[in-house]
Amino acid sequence: MEEKLQNIFREVFEDKNLVIYREMTADDVPAWDSLTYFELIMEVELAFGIKLTTAEISELETVGQLIDMVEEHTGEK
Amino acid sequence: MENVILEQELCNLKLDDVSGILRLARKLNKSGVREYDFKVAVLGSCSIQYFVQALKVLMYQNGIHANIYEGQYDGIKLDVWNNDSEFYNFHPDIAVMLTDYRDIKEFPGLFEDEEQVRDCVEHIASENKQIWEAVHQRLPDCQIIMSNYVIPPERMLGNLECNYLFSEQSIYRQVNEWLVKIHPPYVLLADMEYLASMYGKLDWFDTSAYMLNKIPFALKYVGYAADLFAKLIAACRGVIRKCIVLDLDNTLWGGIVSEEGTNGIKVSPGDAVGESFLFFQRYLKRLKKRGVILAVCSKNDEQTAKEVFTANPNMILGLKDFAAFYANWDDKALNIRRIAQELNIGLDSIVFFDDSPAERELVKLHLPEVTVIDVPPEPANYARTLELAGCFHWASLTMEDVTRAETYHANRQRKNLFTKAGNYDEYLKQLQMHGRVELVNHDTIHRFSQLINKSNQFNLRTMRYTDAEILGMKQREDYRLLTACLADKFSNYGIVSCIILKKREEQCFIDTWVMSCRVLKRGLEYLVFTHILECARAWGCTELSGEYIQTEKNSIVKTLFPDLGFSQDAPSNENICRYRYNLQREFNIKFYIAEDEDGRKIAEYF
Repeated sequence: MEEKLQNIFREVFEDKNLVIYREMTADDVPAWDSLTYFELIMEVELAFGIKLTTAEISELETVGQLIDMVEEHTGEK
Repeated sequence: MENVILEQELCNLKLDDVSGILRLARKLNKSGVREYDFKVAVLGSCSIQYFVQALKVLMYQNGIHANIYEGQYDGIKLDVWNNDSEFYNFHPDIAVMLTDYRDIKEFPGLFEDEEQVRDCVEHIASENKQIWEAVHQRLPDCQIIMSNYVIPPERMLGNLECNYLFSEQSIYRQVNEWLVKIHPPYVLLADMEYLASMYGKLDWFDTSAYMLNKIPFALKYVGYAADLFAKLIAACRGVIRKCIVLDLDNTLWGGIVSEEGTNGIKVSPGDAVGESFLFFQRYLKRLKKRGVILAVCSKNDEQTAKEVFTANPNMILGLKDFAAFYANWDDKALNIRRIAQELNIGLDSIVFFDDSPAERELVKLHLPEVTVIDVPPEPANYARTLELAGCFHWASLTMEDVTRAETYHANRQRKNLFTKAGNYDEYLKQLQMHGRVELVNHDTIHRFSQLINKSNQFNLRTMRYTDAEILGMKQREDYRLLTACLADKFSNYGIVSCIILKKREEQCFIDTWVMSCRVLKRGLEYLVFTHILECARAWGCTELSGEYIQTEKNSIVKTLFPDLGFSQDAPSNENICRYRYNLQREFNIKFYIAEDEDGRKIAEYF
């Protein structure tokens, strides 16, 4: 699952060599702004067939939190 | 190599594939500077960034290459009211304005009367008007494309909203109507309310997305919105499609006529399948009425195919609804080329609608410029599919559009007459032409000005005059401004020739003589000349004088004066030829245009 997520990061942030890790935040990626972030969430939702809430999206800060959220939402299905 | 892949991906791009669209946008952004044909600015009340990315892709897909300026968030007012803004400095040819219902903050109080409601609506609409006017003042050549307001699903009064004029929903509706009333020619409205309704407001509005990023509608629909605007931008640039080429069997009727016979095919009102095809025919007939050209391309015996239109009483479309009719056994790509040639239109102007996937593939392969509709298997959905394809978005509707079908029909009738007549004189006689030459008046002066200023071929001196100058001449005793109209058995052309005569003591000078190219070689110039002579003689002049000033486009009138019997002065200038005609000389050239009985003699004005 993490590899799938990493591929999405690589595509949206246009960096083929990007490696994600739990502590990663927007500060670590130059291309990560509010707009690309939204696109990232959209792609993640599409890829995993889930829908994150407004609260989850706006409160997310680290990649680790994203991984947990995805697990939680896909686990529910 | 990369460009080919890009083209391929663009070809296969589906409008609901948001990931694909944004990915392609990134690729386009990276692939560097291209040749731009013109400039598009996008301004919006909300976040427009995704829309702009999608617009880049959809414009490219629709064959237009524009340089885009992206306005700031809540940037319609910011960019428009700031005289020094980047928007003005960018100097766009087209300005896209994406409004949002959230722009409207003032509503009438409950129970306010009709007049108060109207004031509120006008006030809201006039804010838009002021924005248009401000832009138009700074950028007079800029075309504005503005979305109307998409009415939100959340209602204060619930169902009662549609029962009262003062409700919020009623206000949104009335504002949209008011925009229709007041938008000037340089503003084209884009029907976002229609788009949102078509795809469904429940899905269109993504409240969460708005809260997070001020995105006005769900990203899912950004492709559809961008496609609409890309097509409207193309239309404003004159890139439009004018003609639909239709198959017959299982496209206009159910079944195959060569197998089931003229009355065996399914097209009767009593039958559900027949009704589906009639519904499609009705839709096509309406398209024809507004100027879309209909043409037939069918693999059939011509007689058999045509007989359906003449013998089957249920058909809604008739033979004269088609500007071209090709029923034979040649391949369709070849026939479509013939249609394009016969109608004198480009292949990129044509849309192909055929129920057979094999035929569609063939046309796609051999004629990539033709738009091929992905026809669904269910005939009841034909009209809907054609509508959603959005191939006939135009920037405006003109009288020429609306009479186009008749013009093609009349042209065909004239062609048939010519073939039957055998020689040209006989043809002219059989056209039963009649015309009228008279002084320009208050009602005809606009057409007079139009003809003078846009004629290039039948134009002796290519003098251009403003409306004010023309009015000035009309008032003077030493000028005579004449118009000539013409009609034949099949068409009424209206005013097609304009003349300006100036009295210079004993000489009557032909300052201007133009004629529309639609009526060349009919002999109208001879009728006109008889009136020029009459005018000059009534003035008491002894001779006519004329000039031919050569341009790139007017070589067809190079010999007009000699043909009429003028004698040429010695040349003083290579480009200007001067001629004279002694008014005592009789004019004897035969022409076949009868004068209208109610046409007044010019001499009566003296």
